[in-house]
Amino acid sequence: MDDSTMTENSDEMEYQEDEEEDEDDNDYYYNYDNYADSGGDHHNDGNDQNSGGADFETLQGVECLNVEQAKNLLNEHVDLLSSKLHISPSLAKLFLHLNEWNVNAIVQAYLKHTNAFLVENRVKPPSTSASAMDSLPLPTPSSSTSSPHSSSSKTSVCSVCTLSLPLANDIDMRRKLHISPSLAKLFLHLNEWNVNAIVQAYSKHTNAFLVENRVKPPSTSASAIDTLPIPTPSSSTSSPHSSSSKTSNYIGLLSCGHPFCKNCWAKHFEVQINQGITLDISCMASQCNILASETLILTLLRPALHDKYESFSFRDFVSTHPHLRFCPGPNCAMVMKARESKPKRATCTSCHTSFCFQCGAKCSQRNLAQLEAEIENLSWKIERAETTDRGDLENQMDIAEKRRITLLKDFHLTAPGKEGRGSAELSLYLNSISCSGDWKQHGSEYYECSRYKENPNIGRESAHAQAREALKKYLHYYERWENHAKSLKLESAMLEKIRTRIHSKVMTSSGTWIDWQYLIDASTLLARCRYTLQYTYPYAYYMEPSLSHSRKELFEYQQAQLEAEIENLSWKIERAETTDRGDLENQMDIAEKRRITLLKDFHLTAPGKEGKGSAELSLVS
Amino acid sequence: MSALPRRIIKETQRLMQEPVPGISAVPDESNARYFHVIVTGPEDSPFEGGLFKLELFLPEDYPMSAPKVRFITKIYHPNIDRLGRICLDILKDKWSPALQIRTVLLSIQALLSAPNPDDPLANDVAELWKVNEAEAIRNAKEWTRKYAMDN
Repeated sequence: MDDSTMTENSDEMEYQEDEEEDEDDNDYYYNYDNYADSGGDHHNDGNDQNSGGADFETLQGVECLNVEQAKNLLNEHVDLLSSKLHISPSLAKLFLHLNEWNVNAIVQAYLKHTNAFLVENRVKPPSTSASAMDSLPLPTPSSSTSSPHSSSSKTSVCSVCTLSLPLANDIDMRRKLHISPSLAKLFLHLNEWNVNAIVQAYSKHTNAFLVENRVKPPSTSASAIDTLPIPTPSSSTSSPHSSSSKTSNYIGLLSCGHPFCKNCWAKHFEVQINQGITLDISCMASQCNILASETLILTLLRPALHDKYESFSFRDFVSTHPHLRFCPGPNCAMVMKARESKPKRATCTSCHTSFCFQCGAKCSQRNLAQLEAEIENLSWKIERAETTDRGDLENQMDIAEKRRITLLKDFHLTAPGKEGRGSAELSLYLNSISCSGDWKQHGSEYYECSRYKENPNIGRESAHAQAREALKKYLHYYERWENHAKSLKLESAMLEKIRTRIHSKVMTSSGTWIDWQYLIDASTLLARCRYTLQYTYPYAYYMEPSLSHSRKELFEYQQAQLEAEIENLSWKIERAETTDRGDLENQMDIAEKRRITLLKDFHLTAPGKEGKGSAELSLVS
Repeated sequence: MSALPRRIIKETQRLMQEPVPGISAVPDESNARYFHVIVTGPEDSPFEGGLFKLELFLPEDYPMSAPKVRFITKIYHPNIDRLGRICLDILKDKWSPALQIRTVLLSIQALLSAPNPDDPLANDVAELWKVNEAEAIRNAKEWTRKYAMDN
């Protein structure tokens, strides 16, 4: 929506998109926006973090990346980790994906407890102490047949397709020594293809054998070289996966050693990928959760599906990366990057969608539906509470409250930012109107509908009456908050309408384009006022009862005034048919003054006093 | 229709040659992927003495995806709904290509021995099973007698 976010973060931004966007009539709109912002700043006492339109805090340091840039960014992580730990990139990817892309934590965990880390990340089977690991060599070959499927592998039949698995000479040796095929080839070549001699020599003096065959330098502990076998599994920093997956055709492709043939693996991967599973593809054996590495999958998968795999896994990678979010805008392929994940606004430079960075598109409708259901339950129970048996009712109250808190957490009501999706979802559910009465009947002097009148005798009422009261109070504020959120959303549709109206007016030569700009100006102001008003309701809800009576009254009075002026303004904007702007501008001025007064009185003077309330309000301004 | 995979042929042969006790699975004459299954109610369960008919279908990408199994005989069981659908992990996300028709049917038989009302498919049945197990078992026996004992 607004250009200012872009300019604010200009130092970190790739400008290639901007050139495409700033075209045609958009130009005017953006220019206008900048103008409005500078105007708005005066009103906001120099609080220049805010920009026009709906004003909530903008997340600093947001970058907008296209798919290629995002992929490069992910690859940087992968390269860093794989070079730090000397593991294959595909394994590094897997670790990053499973550990929220926290390179340092992975390096630490890996170096401290390599074995435990590998088991935890489902790269290695837990119990067998790595004896079945494919590319990791074993101290003694005798324990090497402990793979759960060893019996079937002896008969060498793939248990999926029932075809026999050919056991070539080198595969035989590989199974005995659990080394990578390339290494096996090397050993065979250097030792006249005498499998038995190799196995004996290897298992007796692994180190000496490796040195002799020029696989390992004589002195060092060999900790840093990829695909190098190391006698003790715990000290191994070599990749458990990478080497085995490149060329081997049959049996134990994964560290668990479950034997299946290549075609079955390929088919398995295909079916899983078609179901949208990429990084979570595990071994085919029943109850074996060892993960298949990317290298293995891409080696076996038919090329037609490679793109699909790449795009699915990219999607999964982004979703697990704490600092990346897909832009929730329709048909927008951009990825947003921020230094920190906070419930603040991020704006896509490509489609101009603003959204809360922390939740991205993740806010669940389910929470809302559940809250809805519990509220229904609660009100039903309150209505029918005939006895003093309060256990059931209190239980229900508890459930409803928990659901409410979950919802608030998800929607970050304390830190608004999701004008798009959140409110859209909300408005799907509750379609009530803040006050269904006629505006004219309210008069302009004292508008009371925004205020919740508490029953002064509440303390003496019974438990269920109190519960009813609490629910009523909550619903009162919630509905109003929600309605304004909904109106705010409609506002953007309205802006569109206004622009077409202006266009048609200009075409029929009633006024010039410049003459009509005040309308856009007005509707931006309207959106800003509405936004402020919307968050006065959570503020009012959380307002402490201990707050002095007169303060509260003042707040409610100002809130009511603002509400009334906003409605007037809205009415006038909708019906503006001439270029005679005096009346409207007057109204705009009034509304903005009301807004500033409210914020001045309750935002700037009382921060920190009210916990939640002030946090919300501080985001309003 | 494409040729029957070797795996299915092998499994069918083995099912015919070494049948699992208490389970019979016969492929349909016109479709070798469709099996008529009869499972006998396990001993010491409320389903003892009953013969339960099921249908089993091997989808196109079997064994990469799980077979589709459904009870045809009505059964009073918390994990089997009134349409005969079965709530069993290995038929859903825990499916592994290494599992077979045989293992699936054995699991279903085991499910009859050990109903799990905490993960229900038929909510009313599961509720009763938790609240009043004796009555639930009575119902199950009654249903077994009524639907699974006549020919």
